[in-house]
Amino acid sequence: MGLAERLAGKRVLVTGATGFVGEALLERLLSDLPGTGVVVLIRPRAGRSGQARLAGLVAKPAFAPWRERLGADGVEQVLRERVTVLEGDLERIPAIPADVDTVVHCAGEVSFDPPIDTGFATNLGGVQELLRAIRDSGARPHVVHISTAYVAGLRSGHVAEGRLAHTVDWRAEQAAAQRARRAAEDASRAPETLRGFRAEAEGEHIRAGAQTVSREAERRRRRWVERRLVDAGGERARVLGWTDCYTFTKALAERYLETERDGLPLTIMRPSIIESALARPFPGWIEGFKMAEPLILAYGRGELPDFPASPDGIIDIIPVDLVVNAILAAAAAPPPASAPAYYTVCSGFRNPLLFRDLYENVREYFERHPLSKPGRGAVAAAHWRFAGAATVEGQLRRGERFAEIAGRALGYAPRSDRVRQAARDLEQFDERLSFLRRYQDLYRSYTKAELVYVDDATRRLHQALDAGDAERFGFDPACYDWRTYLQEIHFPSVTSTFRGPDKPPAPPRRASHALAGGPDTLAVFDLDGTLVSSTVVESYLWLRLTDQTFAARGRELAQLARALPGYVRAERRDRGHLIRAVYTRYAGADPGELARLVDEVAGDILLRRVKAGAIRRIREHRDAGHRTVLLTGAVEVLTRPLAPLFDEVVATRLAVGADGRCTGRLVSAPLVGDSRAAWLDHYAKRVGADLAASWAYADSQSDLPMLRAVGNPVAVNPDLPLYRVARRSGWPIEQWASTRGEPRAVVGSRHERTIHAAARARDLFGGGAAALSPGGRVRTSRPGVDR
Amino acid sequence: MLEVDERTPPLLVHQGEGFGLERFPLGTRVVYPPESLPELADVDAAIGRALAEPENSEPLRALLRPGMRLTIAFDDLSIPLPPMRRPDIRQRVIEQVLTIAAEAGVDDVVLIVANALHRRMTAAEIERTVGERVFRSFWPDSLYNHDAEDRDNLTHIGLTENGEDVEINRRAAESDLLVYVNVNMVAMDGGHKSVPIGLASYNSLRHHHNSHTMIHSRSFMDHTRSAMHSSAWRMGRLLADHLKIFTVETTVNNASFPSRYAFLMKREWEWSIRDQAMAFGMSRGLAAMPVRPRRKLFQDLVAGYGVTGVHAGETEAVHAKTLANVHRQQLVEVNGQSDVLVVGLPYLGPYNVNSVLNPILAMCLGLGYFFNMYRGRPLVRRGGAMILYHPVTPEFSQLHHPSYVDFFEEVLAESTDPATIETTFEKQYATDPWYTHLYRTSHAYHGVHPFYMWYWGAHAMDHLGDVVWVGGDRAACARMGFRAASTLADALEMVSGTVGRDPSMTYLHSPPHVIADVR
Repeated sequence: MGLAERLAGKRVLVTGATGFVGEALLERLLSDLPGTGVVVLIRPRAGRSGQARLAGLVAKPAFAPWRERLGADGVEQVLRERVTVLEGDLERIPAIPADVDTVVHCAGEVSFDPPIDTGFATNLGGVQELLRAIRDSGARPHVVHISTAYVAGLRSGHVAEGRLAHTVDWRAEQAAAQRARRAAEDASRAPETLRGFRAEAEGEHIRAGAQTVSREAERRRRRWVERRLVDAGGERARVLGWTDCYTFTKALAERYLETERDGLPLTIMRPSIIESALARPFPGWIEGFKMAEPLILAYGRGELPDFPASPDGIIDIIPVDLVVNAILAAAAAPPPASAPAYYTVCSGFRNPLLFRDLYENVREYFERHPLSKPGRGAVAAAHWRFAGAATVEGQLRRGERFAEIAGRALGYAPRSDRVRQAARDLEQFDERLSFLRRYQDLYRSYTKAELVYVDDATRRLHQALDAGDAERFGFDPACYDWRTYLQEIHFPSVTSTFRGPDKPPAPPRRASHALAGGPDTLAVFDLDGTLVSSTVVESYLWLRLTDQTFAARGRELAQLARALPGYVRAERRDRGHLIRAVYTRYAGADPGELARLVDEVAGDILLRRVKAGAIRRIREHRDAGHRTVLLTGAVEVLTRPLAPLFDEVVATRLAVGADGRCTGRLVSAPLVGDSRAAWLDHYAKRVGADLAASWAYADSQSDLPMLRAVGNPVAVNPDLPLYRVARRSGWPIEQWASTRGEPRAVVGSRHERTIHAAARARDLFGGGAAALSPGGRVRTSRPGVDR
Repeated sequence: MLEVDERTPPLLVHQGEGFGLERFPLGTRVVYPPESLPELADVDAAIGRALAEPENSEPLRALLRPGMRLTIAFDDLSIPLPPMRRPDIRQRVIEQVLTIAAEAGVDDVVLIVANALHRRMTAAEIERTVGERVFRSFWPDSLYNHDAEDRDNLTHIGLTENGEDVEINRRAAESDLLVYVNVNMVAMDGGHKSVPIGLASYNSLRHHHNSHTMIHSRSFMDHTRSAMHSSAWRMGRLLADHLKIFTVETTVNNASFPSRYAFLMKREWEWSIRDQAMAFGMSRGLAAMPVRPRRKLFQDLVAGYGVTGVHAGETEAVHAKTLANVHRQQLVEVNGQSDVLVVGLPYLGPYNVNSVLNPILAMCLGLGYFFNMYRGRPLVRRGGAMILYHPVTPEFSQLHHPSYVDFFEEVLAESTDPATIETTFEKQYATDPWYTHLYRTSHAYHGVHPFYMWYWGAHAMDHLGDVVWVGGDRAACARMGFRAASTLADALEMVSGTVGRDPSMTYLHSPPHVIADVR
């Protein structure tokens, strides 16, 4: 009797149907086993019901041949008549129909290094919940549990199918795993640990203010807890002889099923590394990236110079459709309730693929079909030397050390496009390193464990298929040739998304674009560094130096040079300190004269330094009807030339003493760091603006609270810390170029000022209507002119 | 005129803030400016004579009486180029006018910079033009920049027979006498271009500053064949019916550079050893210099212009004499057109004094001014090619040219066709409140000014089959719809599709200025 007949009239429950194996299995059930009823457990997600997710699932490419065969109506009919959706997940499985004959448990944690509590909850807890639901339903199904070949753990040599030989007490381990989170949380809250988080956060974010520091410290604490739990999982697994938390928890799940299944027939499937399909639903079908694809791609992109594997080690890969076929064959052949069946679905025993062969195939493939990088052309395939784990590890360590030092050094570099470019390059380098690190750690155990999985039982299961089924549902790993599979099916499929046609260069685009929103939207701009290429110190000089004699300018600059290191330190600590320190230098200045100075010369310097892109953006916001706000630590008079662009200008105001001159103090604390966010919040409430729809533009880390306060933050020519935050948070990063070739003068034209001053003096000393007799004026000025 | 042969040395070609020495293909015609004319021996006496014995008008003294309103308007810093060494000829004329006015007992006098939509001149720039004493006496209350956006201070005079609005500065319009003092740098300047354009509003200017008139101005340097000038002339005649205008026009010779850079005004084969050393040293030295000091060096250049004529009186009669003077200095006869016109653009055009020549201004200087330096027919045949030397660096002064930046980034990204640009974008830029604010309060050109610059090139764009910039920034040239080449040889290769492998070539060796009278 064929498979289809044996499964006809049966009802199969599939968990994890949205996963890689589950999806392939569902496709097979729907398209080739018309007599079999299907129940799927699907978790409603992101507002979509289980039913909707099922509809989404069958719309995927894997189901395309089936959909074509049936047509839209046919598909709907099949879903209606044959498929039942259970909305739930492994934490809470709803009532299972009592007439379920087979349960295929594909669901599980896919990450190799989950936090220990999550790993246990999903892989072991999931099985426990499944058995509970089965018990409650009254059904007595055959349970087919999808495990992994690697549950065998860290060992070498041949591994036979059968019950794992270990004595680990799953109860104790599960209880410990559940306690681990509490313990980690407690440890993370110890005062000395907390102090560490806060110190680190302050070191990086003090300029952004206390709120940002505390938020960052808490972020670090959470990350620390997660990492500790991940670490706990990995280490516990290795201590007990498994490669990682994944295989460890999978092994315990097997043991739980073996001992607690209430006499249900049990089959345990142990596939090795599952990769793209050999034939069904179509050759090369793969969903998402599994274990080897990132490495293949990294190699193709020239980012994998060597790998710490022994060239003669076996890498055990099995196409997904063979796994699905084996599952179906096993499901159709329930073992006696007393003796669970074990099937290892793998290739390593009968059709072994050596690591060297894989490498040679990859290299040959990429030599023939290289990937290309934008602007670089085809990437050359690397020649691996298989230098050994120690050498590769050494290289990786050196790289990590370099990245760390370079990252710290960049923090001291002045802000510039080049530094940001360097930061971007370093970030990429760092990403590649952590990628290598992750895969090296991941594969270390797998490549070290020189295991050969023996699949005699699976072979017998295959041989038991009748001729037709062997053709349609076969899973003999010797039925294909690696070179063909890898080079003609697997690699092309994996690399296909990276081989789009070359895009033609984009036509010239207008720099501006229309913005959405209305009058309740704010657009908040910082001044120094964002709109204008200047600093607080420079703008001080504009106002201070112009009227001074050459010698006085020299004195002023010398004094300033002495104070500068202090300013730099203040800037690193708190921008407010810097503003206060610089502005004390305004003591004694005449505020009226400062305003005149801006109108006559300093305003021109400001306008020369304004960035065209900035002005354009402000105007786009105005065109969109937004309320534009200038929020700056600069002195108020300096903002005068730009004031017409803003609905609201908030700047630093210098306090004026009884003598009418600046005291060097400020009217109120400068708006920096957290206080900007607070001001914004207050202002938004006052004018009825919606901060979530609002925009903010700033250039420095100290503006982080302001940027975080709005829904559309934009980092403009950011300093490195802000740049990193923006990259991490996915904020747009814009480069608004300063005007090239403009003099970076800090001094206005003294000539202009003298001329203005002379004209004012005339008004004060005997100007007026009487002097308007033009001839007289000219005559008295220069007697000789009348000749 | 020179025809390049085996003995011709490399020729000097201006290239923005620098220049090169280029070997031209054999047979290239080189149009040199005529020798600089001798300056008047006694300029002040000539001014006095012109004011006392004006053309087609009573003497200035007779036009003045106590209690009258007198306004003196004068050309802004866009002419002459480079700025003239002190005292500026405008200062000398204005001082004499003021002296006569004082003697006549006129005490309501205002001086206005006729800057139209150009940027406001700074106090120092005005002081440089009118002199320290005039400046000190009148600035800022009675000496100021014209404001084409000050609705309260504009007067609508009427419509010309063609329905063109004539709207000028209120103070000027309501004066009993308007004295206009000009410097007639090139044939385009002066005449009725002075008052109806220099003191006009945007509303009035738009009638002649548009893509249609520009394409039909052949050339600007010949007011009888220029649609722009025809319109200005209609306006000027209408104005003359409402307002007494006393025009003083002056002309200068070809001493465009200070005497220490005399080699820039000589023919290469006449260069002394010192000239050769200067030319070689400077061409290399400038190329190696950092941008800012180099720019400073150029911006500090002052021309040693000598005055060749002063004429005063009724506008058209004066202008006829003035044009004769200009032509005497600048006109060169050229036989026939050629396939290719080569020009080297200097660092300075009318709109970037104390600023940077941005790509749009470079286009305007090349295709607007240099191309139009002809009388009769263009130097290059219809469908021919023009090769320009300039770096076309996409640099803009945010202070002086804010709307240019956006014009370059926004408008040119959509279209480079003058008519399309005019219909789609001009209004928006012309009425933009921020540009208007900057024009009125800062030192920015009016929002619409880049459009005029673009229209300025409309005739050339229409006439030419190909335009290639040697040494131009590729992206900036492409944005403007042109191509860039690295050498003259490459440029000739590129235009060979238009003019063939062996085109006839003319090199317009300028500055100093030259008008080709193409027969």
